[in-house]
Amino acid sequence: MIRLAKSSTQREVLTHLSAEQTALEIKNLDLYYGDKQALFDVSMKIPKGQVTAFIGPSGCGKSTLLRCINRMNDLVDICRVEGNIALQGSNIYDKSVDVAALRRRVGMVFQRPNPFPKSIYENVIYGLRLQGIKDRRRLDEAAENSLRSAALWNEVKDRLHDNAFGLSGGQQQRLVIARAVAIDPEVLLLDEPTSALDPISTLTIEELISELKEKFTVVIVTHNMQQAARVSDQTAFMYMGKLIEYSDTNTLFTTPTQKQTEDYITGRYG
Amino acid sequence: MGKWFKSGTPWIWMTGGAVSLSLIAVIGLVLLIGWRGLSFFWPSTVYEFDMLDEQGQHYNLIGEIYDSETVLKAQLISAGVEGLEDKGETLERYLIKIGNREYVDLDFQWILETIVSGKTVPKDVVVLERTKNGNFYGYIDAILENGQPVAINKTQFASELQKRVIRTTTFKDQEDQLLGSDIGHINYELEKIRLDKRKLALDGLLTEDKIGQFDKQSQRLRDQYLVLEEQLFAYREQAQRDSVQLRDMTGRKVILPISSVLDFHLPNDMTFFAKVQHWFHQVGKFISDDPREANTEGGVFPAIFGTVFMVMLMAVIVTPFGVVAAIYLHEYAGKNNITKFIRIAVINLAGVPSIVYGVFGLGFFVYILGGSIDELFYPQALPSPTFGSPGVLWCALTLAILTLPIVIVSTEEGLSRIPSTLREGSLALGATKSETLWRIIVPMASPAIMTGLILAVARAAGEVAPLMLVGVVKMAPTLPVDGNFPYLHLERKFMHLGFHIYDVGFQSPNVEAARPLVYATSFLLVTVIIGLNLAAIAIRNNLREKYRALEH
Repeated sequence: MIRLAKSSTQREVLTHLSAEQTALEIKNLDLYYGDKQALFDVSMKIPKGQVTAFIGPSGCGKSTLLRCINRMNDLVDICRVEGNIALQGSNIYDKSVDVAALRRRVGMVFQRPNPFPKSIYENVIYGLRLQGIKDRRRLDEAAENSLRSAALWNEVKDRLHDNAFGLSGGQQQRLVIARAVAIDPEVLLLDEPTSALDPISTLTIEELISELKEKFTVVIVTHNMQQAARVSDQTAFMYMGKLIEYSDTNTLFTTPTQKQTEDYITGRYG
Repeated sequence: MGKWFKSGTPWIWMTGGAVSLSLIAVIGLVLLIGWRGLSFFWPSTVYEFDMLDEQGQHYNLIGEIYDSETVLKAQLISAGVEGLEDKGETLERYLIKIGNREYVDLDFQWILETIVSGKTVPKDVVVLERTKNGNFYGYIDAILENGQPVAINKTQFASELQKRVIRTTTFKDQEDQLLGSDIGHINYELEKIRLDKRKLALDGLLTEDKIGQFDKQSQRLRDQYLVLEEQLFAYREQAQRDSVQLRDMTGRKVILPISSVLDFHLPNDMTFFAKVQHWFHQVGKFISDDPREANTEGGVFPAIFGTVFMVMLMAVIVTPFGVVAAIYLHEYAGKNNITKFIRIAVINLAGVPSIVYGVFGLGFFVYILGGSIDELFYPQALPSPTFGSPGVLWCALTLAILTLPIVIVSTEEGLSRIPSTLREGSLALGATKSETLWRIIVPMASPAIMTGLILAVARAAGEVAPLMLVGVVKMAPTLPVDGNFPYLHLERKFMHLGFHIYDVGFQSPNVEAARPLVYATSFLLVTVIIGLNLAAIAIRNNLREKYRALEH
């Protein structure tokens, strides 16, 4: 486990992380939707094998920042990105980068469960099929392992070939996590993964997140401060497209250095 | 009252009324053409009318009551009909189908009730369906074998005739089989040899050696033909052995060869069950037989086959085209004014009158495309065109561009209904855009594609005007599919139910005989379209179930 600076100000935080300890390094990232700037000069290092949470009020750019990490923003025609993000030291916004290959390395789970209209089994191995893997045994194995790591195996092992829409919302979300895990990414991005779920499903997912960090670097966006406090090791607070404060979770919630952070976590706005 | 208006009740009644009206219109239409068309096959009672003409002479008429109408007496008097003074205000007038086309001036006659002095229902009257001249109504006098009467008594006439009709039909079927498939095949081969020879001659490769080969081949085929011809004549002779001697309503003796009799029944001597059986038999024949006598008799099988075949061919062409175009417009084209313009242009294409497509098809597909194909691939057959004349392929293509907008619009609609989260989900797993399209988006849009196809099929199956320019004919000698290589002959002309209705209804030499066929064919066309639609709807519902959209 990496030891983090106990107290720090913006941008200085976690700068001491060595290259091996860093999964992602975001440098001077600006993002525009047409003429409107949505992210302002964001720089941060996200440590490997830990859970990093982005919090902030609605529209603060936390989801946008997350979607920069696997270049999901490329889908938006009018979106323009400046600055760079380094994954394992290499810039993902480089012209030579194959976006599909990048997304295999950076998995993502969305706000609402979005299983494909296929069987549970086919959902899980979708990414593997894309890679052209046909070996039945390997696919079966991958499906079982992924479903196990998403804590879903016991619930679905007898109906792997049923339609995925037959699952409950929480199960669907775990299926989507299993699907992302199946292609063995380095980083897993979770975009408010529990916002559409009931409290019990939320709890299951949260427990799952703490297990997932054993294998993956997890970045989670949440509007729920308690959730961030429960699951994350580091927390970044964003406001109006700017990274206001970024430090280890305990510090951020107990002794915030910035006024805006304090106002937000004490519930004065948001 | 004001409150009643405010409550929205009149609005509900109005909308409900509109729905009921449409429903009534549809059901009424189907019932009307169904009833008119299908009742034609019911063996109706044949009456013998005792008629009294103006000179006080009695004469007989045998026939079915085909139609009747009520006319005003004043109208008849002003038309010059006399002797009506003591009658009521209105009179009945009957249309009688008397058949026997070659012996009477008019095989359908209007008679006024006043000149009918009596009518009977003779049990032994027989109706013969013939290959020529329509039905014959009369009584059987004798059954002849080689011109000699067969010694049987009157009660056995029907069963004996039945036996002999069956025997003759067997020979005729064999004859048709021989003509259609074996001799037809030889003709096809001979034509092919002629064309091959011509092709080599055109290419300058025709050597003495080759000519010898070709001659040998055609000689072999001709020898085969002679054998078959002998067989054919043997069948014909067998089929001509029997004949039947009949007496018509005027008492005239008529001898009909049984080879000209297709079927017969004794309508007044049938139980209800026998009539039902006869009805099904007649309907079956209508669906499965070829038309006869300028389409006013016989069945419509080639037209059914042509319609279904052409529509399926069209569906096969239009679906990939429309889907690919819709995918480009929706997924790849930039969201700018040019795309908008193209989209509007596509939608407007649906509003172009169909005859315009026919003209376009004739000019572009038949003459330019077909003409070029002929020049490039079939120079040996020129000047007679192969693809350069109207045919089923050009019809299918013309209808495909006619229905293209429908498929494009509904596919696009389907594409835009797919939640973007699914798209993102697939992309986030490292799929490229095209992988996402083919694995997730297009399968999920398939119910919408099927909807487009259903609408396209419904439109195409009912379209006649453009087809008249690009490939439909009144009478096609062969189906577009047969046993000669390459089995599918897309250059052939074909028959179509829609055109058949037009032809039978408006171009027929015998309007009254054709009228019920118009209804029957219309009903069949509607049935075919409904059938095609139901099949497509079943597939769509299946797909919908499979790709049920997310519940949020």
